[in-house]
Amino acid sequence: MAIAEEVLTEYPNLPETSPMGQELDWAWLAGHRSEWGVHPKPSPRGLTMMDIAVGSYGDVPQHPRHRAMAARGADIAEDTPDMGYILNDKTDVWASNVSELYEEAVARQWSATRDIPWGELEELPSDIEHAMCQLCTTLSEIEMIASDLPAKWMWRMNHEFLEAKMFLCTQIMDEARHSEVFRKRALANGGGLLKSRANTETLLRTIIEAKTYTQATALLHLLGEGFILDLFRQGEAIAPTEVEKRIFRLTMQDEARHVAYGTMHIRYAVDADPDVAEEIHEALDHGEGAMVALGRAPDMSSALAMLLAGGADKVEEIGFPLQQQLARNQMTSYLARCERAGVSRLERTKLPLDELGIDIDKLRQRTARR
Amino acid sequence: MSPTPSTANIDTIGFFDDLATAMNNDPARYELLGDIDLELAVVMHRDDRDAFRVRLGFHGIQCQTVVEIDEGEEAAAECWLEGDLEDWKAMFADIATNGRAQGPWTLNALTLMGDRIRLEATDPMGWDKFHRFNQTLQDFVDASANILNREVSNASS
Repeated sequence: MAIAEEVLTEYPNLPETSPMGQELDWAWLAGHRSEWGVHPKPSPRGLTMMDIAVGSYGDVPQHPRHRAMAARGADIAEDTPDMGYILNDKTDVWASNVSELYEEAVARQWSATRDIPWGELEELPSDIEHAMCQLCTTLSEIEMIASDLPAKWMWRMNHEFLEAKMFLCTQIMDEARHSEVFRKRALANGGGLLKSRANTETLLRTIIEAKTYTQATALLHLLGEGFILDLFRQGEAIAPTEVEKRIFRLTMQDEARHVAYGTMHIRYAVDADPDVAEEIHEALDHGEGAMVALGRAPDMSSALAMLLAGGADKVEEIGFPLQQQLARNQMTSYLARCERAGVSRLERTKLPLDELGIDIDKLRQRTARR
Repeated sequence: MSPTPSTANIDTIGFFDDLATAMNNDPARYELLGDIDLELAVVMHRDDRDAFRVRLGFHGIQCQTVVEIDEGEEAAAECWLEGDLEDWKAMFADIATNGRAQGPWTLNALTLMGDRIRLEATDPMGWDKFHRFNQTLQDFVDASANILNREVSNASS
């Protein structure tokens, strides 16, 4: 392997072989096809992924030529092996806000060990402690689906969609922390883990077994995490002390990022290929049914009602009516996000809107105004 | 008995400038919570005159812009919080009294029920952004405790 002429001209003393007698390749010294000297400028807060998306390095191809882990924009050898990626179209995984969400996720990480004021936990009435532990048991169970699902698909995503993969890595970390914080809360105040039932696992299985990544993200980010986001919002009404309120606020922030990715990914996919919408609808038809079953699960719904009521005495008087009001919020938020994602569910949803007194005409009018 | 903090001036640009200054002077607090990138408007309906409207621009760990806006311009923000001045006063009074918002007076609790202060957005993504940055926004308004109590202290000295 001879040293390239342009390299030899500038660095005439380079050896052709290593001390062990191996031939050396100094071609990278010439820069070759890669873009050299782009000098991205840091933002006030530092050098972000948006800052370095300059020149060709900022171009994310619709259909990458390579299927390797090579860095996008590098001078990639033609004999680079195929890594077996199956998500090779940008529309398969991309979202217009994914770089911003990655930076936001990195900047807003928190610690379930350090940032929750565990020392302020106080002894609670037995019914409230049991209800909190039941809720935490279920949440600790279901949060990990949002780690497992991206992990299942990530190694199949073309590495040129690096920013999307990086964002999903933050989601995996977020959800590990959520499982951790709810497990810790269940154990930390004199209680423990309570019931886990089949209907929870049915929903999780529906999500993890989705046939395509876009179906999976519709089920996970739009439906599942959308509902959980609204549940965490309700933490203000559910939480018996400031400790749980803090837990719910911090988990809510993370969850909202994941929902923002999913909503905009589906939008991106549907804009590029309107036929994808039907594939998503089919998944949501099935998923909404499983979600309703989870909402009606006797453990989850009774624990929530107990917490909302502030105790066993007022479950019927306060707990269930409040729970219904909050369920209405969950469903209207979800349907609004579906509109934004470009998959209107207003005419197709399997959610029990009538049962909860949700006026579909009002929702239509509100959507039309946007 | 300590004097009660006054919330008489919360519907002024000066009050929100003070909140922005408090945030910008406390990087350690907001660095822990992480960056925020949000255009938020606040609308306070008054009985005797036009509503007070202000747009707040949050970037990094700072509130960089505080601008009074006209009717309808809140819709240009990513999301906005809207309620009667009396309810806003009650929220800030709770913060001033307790050092930070308690139970039903947090931004999240108020907007969850939506009967006093509502969260609005023309785009559901803006609506979700309020939740992505909720703890930062809560700390932003909780910082009013020092401002309101300092005013009382200055008035009584």
